[in-house]
Amino acid sequence: MEPSRKQRWQQLQSAFEPGFRQMLLVSLLLHLLLPILSYIPFLSQQAIEKPPVYRVNLVNKIVKNPQAGRPEAVPAKKKSVAKSKPKRKSKPKPAVKPKPLPPKPKPKKVKPKPAAKKKPVKKKPQPKPAVSKTQENNLQKRLEQMRAKQQKKASEQARKDRIAALKAAALAESSKVRSPISAAPVGMADGSGNEAGVSAIAFVQEFIQQQWSLSKYQVIGSPEAEVKLVYNAEGTLLHYKFLKKSGNAIFDESLTRAIAKSKQLPQVLPESMSFEIVFNLKDMLGKP
Amino acid sequence: MNFLKISCLCLMLVGLFGSAAIAARIEISAPGEQTIPLAITSLLPMGVGATYPAVAAEFQQVLQDDLELSGLFDLVDPGAFLSDAGRLGLRRNEIDFYQWRMLGAEALIKGGYSVTAGKLTIDLRLFDVITQRLLTGRRYSGRLKDVRKIAHTFADQILKSLTGEKGPFSTKIAYISKRTGHKELYLMDVDGHNPIRMTNQRSIVLNPDFSPNRKELIYTSYKKGNPDLYRKEIYTGRESRLSLRPGLNIGGRYSPDGREIALTLSKDKNSEIYLLGTDGTIHRRLTNHYSIDVDPSWSPKGNKIAFVSDRRGNPNVFIVDIYSLEVTRLTFEGKYNATPAWSPRGGRIAYSRLDDGIFNIFTIREDGTDERQLTFGLGNKEHPRWSPDGRFLVYSNDLGGKGKSIWIMRADGTGAKRISARGSDDSHPAWSHRW
Repeated sequence: MEPSRKQRWQQLQSAFEPGFRQMLLVSLLLHLLLPILSYIPFLSQQAIEKPPVYRVNLVNKIVKNPQAGRPEAVPAKKKSVAKSKPKRKSKPKPAVKPKPLPPKPKPKKVKPKPAAKKKPVKKKPQPKPAVSKTQENNLQKRLEQMRAKQQKKASEQARKDRIAALKAAALAESSKVRSPISAAPVGMADGSGNEAGVSAIAFVQEFIQQQWSLSKYQVIGSPEAEVKLVYNAEGTLLHYKFLKKSGNAIFDESLTRAIAKSKQLPQVLPESMSFEIVFNLKDMLGKP
Repeated sequence: MNFLKISCLCLMLVGLFGSAAIAARIEISAPGEQTIPLAITSLLPMGVGATYPAVAAEFQQVLQDDLELSGLFDLVDPGAFLSDAGRLGLRRNEIDFYQWRMLGAEALIKGGYSVTAGKLTIDLRLFDVITQRLLTGRRYSGRLKDVRKIAHTFADQILKSLTGEKGPFSTKIAYISKRTGHKELYLMDVDGHNPIRMTNQRSIVLNPDFSPNRKELIYTSYKKGNPDLYRKEIYTGRESRLSLRPGLNIGGRYSPDGREIALTLSKDKNSEIYLLGTDGTIHRRLTNHYSIDVDPSWSPKGNKIAFVSDRRGNPNVFIVDIYSLEVTRLTFEGKYNATPAWSPRGGRIAYSRLDDGIFNIFTIREDGTDERQLTFGLGNKEHPRWSPDGRFLVYSNDLGGKGKSIWIMRADGTGAKRISARGSDDSHPAWSHRW
């Protein structure tokens, strides 16, 4: 007679070590806990505010939009984003016209009138003993305050209008800039969106290259070496390893010096990164 | 069960703390800095005794000139030196490397000197600032007048430490000078100092060449009326005639092993290239053509000779295999190509070419490719010869008719500078081997 499902399960259970079920449960719970933990704000990486990064690369020139590259290429790629911005900026455009300070005289007209009228009016309330002199003074003070506020507002508005107009003019000017080569490649090969500066990889490449000093008179032939460098997110070199030595002691020694100089990057990295760097002299100028 | 628990725990830990590092592959195809930032401190007096600031200054100048000529270094401005430069610390732990690193130096030379009873002792060290290692250190002793020689020798040592091959700064250059009114043979240091007259024949001396393994020179002289080949021992001054055949006995060049001499002879009314033994006997005739064949130069392996021939019209450089006697043409451009010199490193041949009425120095690969012009501008640049390490070339330059002088430059044509005095009509330089 075949054992029932319950009997089979009991047999299977007896085959497990005691406590296996509890362990399985704990493991399952912990696995479920992982995604929850990753969404908790103090543990998520997104919550960390990164300082602004400014990198200078004279070869891969910095562009505001590495993905877009040429100024005229920007609206083509991100129309939805780009449109909303000019709209906001287009609003101030009409505000440029009121800029010749017409709002200023308007409040001025209003202000002197009540001030001037109130003085003669002062005589009128005389028959009304309900309004005392102190009340009058208070009123006047209030009016003066209001006037000052209005003046401030008006001048601020005028300043804002002027700035907006200048911005709009600058935008219009920049949109006129055209790449001399219409078919020029757009953006950087490793650009990744709206970031100011080159990519972290390009930055590390340039930094390590700058630390590497070797004269063309030191080495004969075409040596090549490969080194693996591991950096943490703070830009500190954790360890390095020669994957392939060149066989030229002078060349390899120069690389060791360059690595020693690159122990700490002057910028943080987006995350821990490892680099497999091939060093050679293909582009060394004037190498005999 | 334990195994299962541990593996689960490990998985969890990896999931929690292990952030996968991004791997990127990069190629860096040239160093960012193509010179080594070097700081040379002044020699400081060691111990108690009289100080000789002039000795220290001369030493520093000579060393600096040699290292600048090498093209390897970018010297750190001494005006920027900090307190460590004023301390005589020749040991690693006595040096504040941080100061030197702040100045951007990657290599540091420190040294001290002492003079006791006219005997000069100089202690020198070369440090790697980045790794804080001692790269090389030497102690030299000599007389006060040996300070230049010590500086040249240490410059050679620095190059050996940083390139794996010694420099040529402590070698000599032979040349022909007319400063006495006659063309005589002279010897000088690589920087043009200490010129010594080697001959006093009141005649015409030409085309000197050094023996690779003995301290002697060969040259052609008209002392007896005919252009004969002479040999002279440098230290004893003993002189003998090696080849006195009728006609030309010119352009003698020692083979790399020093056992034979390639020479142009015109004993049969036409100039041809021959191989002679060091006793002057003819071993072999290398060329046999009705045209003019002159200016032999050995390949570093000693199996080929470059020479000049007009067998195809204009004088051009040809190469003859000394075993098969097969001749191949090397240069095709220019109206007049002359005085080839094979690099001791192999690979390239230097020669002078006449273009637009001016001789300039060119180099070309042994296979006739990659021809490069090294010199430009006014003046005939002729008679190029390589330094024993193949790093530099020495040649004569007449500066557009202002009188010939000896110049030196790097093998790529950079760093050219005059080393012999102007107005003495110096020509036909030859660089000695190391001794």
